[in-house]
Amino acid sequence: MKINLLTAAFMGSMLLMSSLAHADRLDDIKKAGVLRVATFDSNPPFGFVDPKTNKIVGLDVDYAKAVADKLGVKLDIQPTNPANRIAFLTSKKVDLVFANFTITDERKKEVDFSTPYFASGTQFIAKKGTLKSPDQLNDLRIGADKGTTNEQQVRAQFPRATIVAYDDTPFAFAALRTGNVQAITQDGPKLVGLLANVPDRDKYEIPAFTISNDYEGVGVPKGEPRLLSVVNDTLTGLEANGTAGHIYDQWFGPKSRAPLPRLFKIGDPQKS
Amino acid sequence: MNGWLAPKYLIWLLQGFGMTLALSASVIVTATLCGCLLALARTSRAAPVRRAAALYVLVFRNSPLIVQLLFWYFGVATLLPDAVMTWLNTPHFADVGMFKMYWPSFEFVAGWIGLTCYSTTFIGEEFRSGLSGVPVGQHNAAAALGLTPLAAFVHVILPQAVRISTPPLFGQYMNIVKNSSLTMAIGLAELSYSSRQVDTETFKTFQAFGMATVLYILTIALLEVVLVVVQRSGSRAAVRR
Repeated sequence: MKINLLTAAFMGSMLLMSSLAHADRLDDIKKAGVLRVATFDSNPPFGFVDPKTNKIVGLDVDYAKAVADKLGVKLDIQPTNPANRIAFLTSKKVDLVFANFTITDERKKEVDFSTPYFASGTQFIAKKGTLKSPDQLNDLRIGADKGTTNEQQVRAQFPRATIVAYDDTPFAFAALRTGNVQAITQDGPKLVGLLANVPDRDKYEIPAFTISNDYEGVGVPKGEPRLLSVVNDTLTGLEANGTAGHIYDQWFGPKSRAPLPRLFKIGDPQKS
Repeated sequence: MNGWLAPKYLIWLLQGFGMTLALSASVIVTATLCGCLLALARTSRAAPVRRAAALYVLVFRNSPLIVQLLFWYFGVATLLPDAVMTWLNTPHFADVGMFKMYWPSFEFVAGWIGLTCYSTTFIGEEFRSGLSGVPVGQHNAAAALGLTPLAAFVHVILPQAVRISTPPLFGQYMNIVKNSSLTMAIGLAELSYSSRQVDTETFKTFQAFGMATVLYILTIALLEVVLVVVQRSGSRAAVRR
């Protein structure tokens, strides 16, 4: 008990000292020559361990590398899971989080977010040529996963659509294959992952529209305006010189394993 | 516990309940008819017919209902030609006087067929036990009175067999109502499906599933009442004779 108290007091004073001593994180990063970034290590293609090199690679890693290069420092990757992302930032274990981090009002209370560099949303898979625009959804039978926000969004926005909810995505996809439904809905990145493992994937397509939008940004600790603006400038710069599109195409482009049309570019106005 | 469900969600639950009742009623009718045929086939004098009926019971009674439903919905659908599937999955209706008759959805048809095939085995076996429950002496007595085999069956054996098998038969009807909840796996919007849907939209888990439970119990209780009424009128009719 005594030791615990002592440790706590010690750590508390260390925290206090560190926050006093390091008023600005950007200077610290440049001085140390290392940018510490948390990414996923098992969420392809955002962040996952490459079996060949045993290193963490992915879309998020590439964007993090671009920011490190811009700062002229080394990149140090720290694997994280979804639940730890905010804790990593608030405990100052990492400088930035690049982990498919969806921007929400709740999270904005704990951390700051950069301008979004990726967007995902409720999308559809249909047999080629059957689904071109969202208006058609009202006349279709649409398979969904029970209890997902995707199901609720389709029901709210397309009241005349017939929704058939299944226990999970493979069941919904089986219903699409057999023709019981004409389209199925899920988050775009999940749909491409699903389609990547289908033997006759040439028969299906993901129409190039979303009916909802989630935006993913870089997680930045609160109270670091200079660091935040460097991250934002870097991201807009990457879009301007074409690097952002290049990084996207490497993981989601037409020749990638999981092709997903790029519907959002860095700096685009955000739709609700 | 935070208040009652909004009217919109009560309507969802009632729509689901309506679907449960429609499906159960349809299955009860078809499974009873098929069950009669099955019982006759199992007591037939022709051995191949008997064996075929026994094989049917073996297959459909000894595999889980959920697997059978998935088979009818996903498995059979892959065997059907594309044109048939398209027809089954587009709405059809016929004008019957003032009403529009809608062709049921493929989920309904698959659930109906699946539940009928499954319940037929149980109902058929209840009928068979009713038939074999009639003492041999009754057969002999009817023959001694000079009745033809058909007349003996219709006027002597069948009424007694029906009386013997009525209580277990209603037990099977109750099973049909409860088993109909499994069709939620193939996307039929019946009571269990809609209660789950209400739960995910409102997070009022207790109210959603509680309401569904009450509606199921009410349906079963109603069947019990019908059984008592049927038994009473049956025995009164027997006394009058």
